[in-house]
Amino acid sequence: MLLLELFWSFVKIGFTSFGGLSMIPLISSEMISHGWMTASEVSDIVAIAEMTPGPLGLNCATYAGMRAAGLLGAFVANMGALAPTFTLCAVAAVFFEHFKNNKRLGQIMIGVRPACVGMVAGIIIDLMLANYTDGNLKIHWPSLALGGIDLILLLKFRISIPKVILFSALAGIILFGFLGL
Amino acid sequence: MLIKLFKDFLKFGCFTFGGGWSIVAQMKMLYVDQEKSLKNEELLDLTSIGRSLPGTMIGNIAMFYGHRVAGFWGGVACVFGMITVPMIILILITSFYTAFQNNLWVAAAMKGVRASVAPIILGALLGILKGAFKVTPCIAVAAAMFALYFFLRVSCVWLVIIGAVLGLLISEYYERVKGFDVTA
Repeated sequence: MLLLELFWSFVKIGFTSFGGLSMIPLISSEMISHGWMTASEVSDIVAIAEMTPGPLGLNCATYAGMRAAGLLGAFVANMGALAPTFTLCAVAAVFFEHFKNNKRLGQIMIGVRPACVGMVAGIIIDLMLANYTDGNLKIHWPSLALGGIDLILLLKFRISIPKVILFSALAGIILFGFLGL
Repeated sequence: MLIKLFKDFLKFGCFTFGGGWSIVAQMKMLYVDQEKSLKNEELLDLTSIGRSLPGTMIGNIAMFYGHRVAGFWGGVACVFGMITVPMIILILITSFYTAFQNNLWVAAAMKGVRASVAPIILGALLGILKGAFKVTPCIAVAAAMFALYFFLRVSCVWLVIIGAVLGLLISEYYERVKGFDVTA
């Protein structure tokens, strides 16, 4: 039951993620362990999801669902990722005043936030290994250099993410297409 | 009412690029400034709870707002309104991409795009670092979860659950032993 597996995967992702970025390691490990995607395809979703409107997590769900099981897969994956919204959040909405200053929620986040930092640091290394090497751990220097330039554009010059992605696509066409590096 | 909510969030959904803050800005413009049906503080409350519950922040905020205005189905109308356009766009892109991924030029462009993904995530990570380390033990939590993820490949679901438990323990410790509320 591919659809059921897809739904369940995104239910797990939904319930254990707190905001866009923290979904990436979860999505990556679920997708790769099920064989629905490779590490470089995970990079593709992150880039595509950042370029198009909509929350990152749901865009990833659409993309992953489409790749794994077509249109129905996309829908099912979205519903899975939204499961906490339709359940937990609906309950919280009824008891809104109670949740407003809930201390336990704050205490949980004290541990969840650094846990997300640790996982995200891990996925960054995973993605670097996938995107800056030729396999066999041999560094692919043109890709690494392009990544370095992107980092400077983002942090030093504060260029927006969609523009950096567009720049990288053009650089890719020149470097890997025309020059064949 | 449900139709109005659906339409409002259909519009919001078209312009939510990267992160959830753009939807909060749009809700402020429409509901707080124009219609005056929502107070600034109420929007802030919606945002902070939406962010601290699991799932996508924007989905949670949409659910909260819709529920406030028109009950459960109001929330559902907002959530579906918001996801419709992004979902259609992404379905088109994915089909297009799948058909063209073996094209030499598309492959070259995507290879370039992939090089930008690690820097993008790193940039976002640096942004959340400050809020993540409220007290010293948080650094140990981050280091331990990194090791469990990267070397032992422990499932992320478990890492988040362990993080939640450690968060409760750390907070309780600080409160009981040091008389200091870390959530404040």
